[in-house]
Amino acid sequence: MKRVLIADDASFMRQMIRDIIEPEGFEVVGEAADGVEVVEKFRKLTPDLVMMDIVMPKRSGIDAVKAIKAEDTTARIVMCSALGQEALVTEAIEAGACDFIVKPFKPDAVLTTLRKVVEKADS
Amino acid sequence: MDLAKYRALFLEEATEHLAEMSRACLALEKDPANGEAIDLVFRMAHSIKGMAASLEYDGVTRLAHRLEDRIATFRAAGAVEVPDGMVLLFRGLEALEGMVSVLRDGGESPAPDEALLAALAGSPSTDRGTAKKA
Repeated sequence: MKRVLIADDASFMRQMIRDIIEPEGFEVVGEAADGVEVVEKFRKLTPDLVMMDIVMPKRSGIDAVKAIKAEDTTARIVMCSALGQEALVTEAIEAGACDFIVKPFKPDAVLTTLRKVVEKADS
Repeated sequence: MDLAKYRALFLEEATEHLAEMSRACLALEKDPANGEAIDLVFRMAHSIKGMAASLEYDGVTRLAHRLEDRIATFRAAGAVEVPDGMVLLFRGLEALEGMVSVLRDGGESPAPDEALLAALAGSPSTDRGTAKKA
C-alpha cells in the first residue's frame, strides 16, 4: 500500500483527496496545511507520494517542492492545481514535481495520475 | 461522494475564510501596500473558488475567481488601488458573504452580480464602484 502525504490549506480539499484515494488502496499517512508543515512532515513520515497544493500560506507549494527535492531527489510529488495555473504547474514540474491534477477533482483522473506516478516509481 | 458532508465543510471553511478576508481588507484600508494582507485575500478567494467549484456552486466560483484575478493584479502592482480597488474588494467580499449566507440558509446556488463581475474584470464603465451593489 502506497503511503501518501496530503498538503492543502483547505481541510475541505484534504478530506476530498482522502475520500478519493483511501478506498482505492492508498494510505494517507499525514496532512499538512501549509508549505512549511509539508516539508517537516515529509522528513518525519517519509511518504511514497506527496499531493501538493500550489497556493498555500507560509511557503508556496512550488517552494516546498524545491525544499523536498533538495533533501530527497527521489521524492514523488503530484501538484494539485486549478485552471489558470498552467505557468505555475510548469514551474513546479521544472522544480521536480512528477505530475499534476486539476481542481475540481475528478476521482478517476486523480487515481489514474497517482497510479501512473507510482508505477513509474516502481519500474 | 457524500455531498452533504462537503457542503457542511464548505460553509464552515468559507465562513472562516470570509472573516479572515474581512480582517485583511480592514488592514488594507489602513495600508494598501500591506503585502501579507494582499496575499491572504488572494489565498482566501482562491480557496473559496476551489471549494465552490468542487460543489458546482457556479456563481460563487465565478465571483471568487474574478476577485482572485483582480487581487492578483494588486499583488503584481504591490498595492491595492485607492480608492477604486478598495471599493471593489469590499463589494466582492460583501457579495461572497451574501452568497454563502444564501447557501447556509439552504438556498440554491445564487447567481453572481454581473455588474460586479464586470467591474472586477476592469470594465471601464463599471470600474469606479458605480455599478449596482450586490
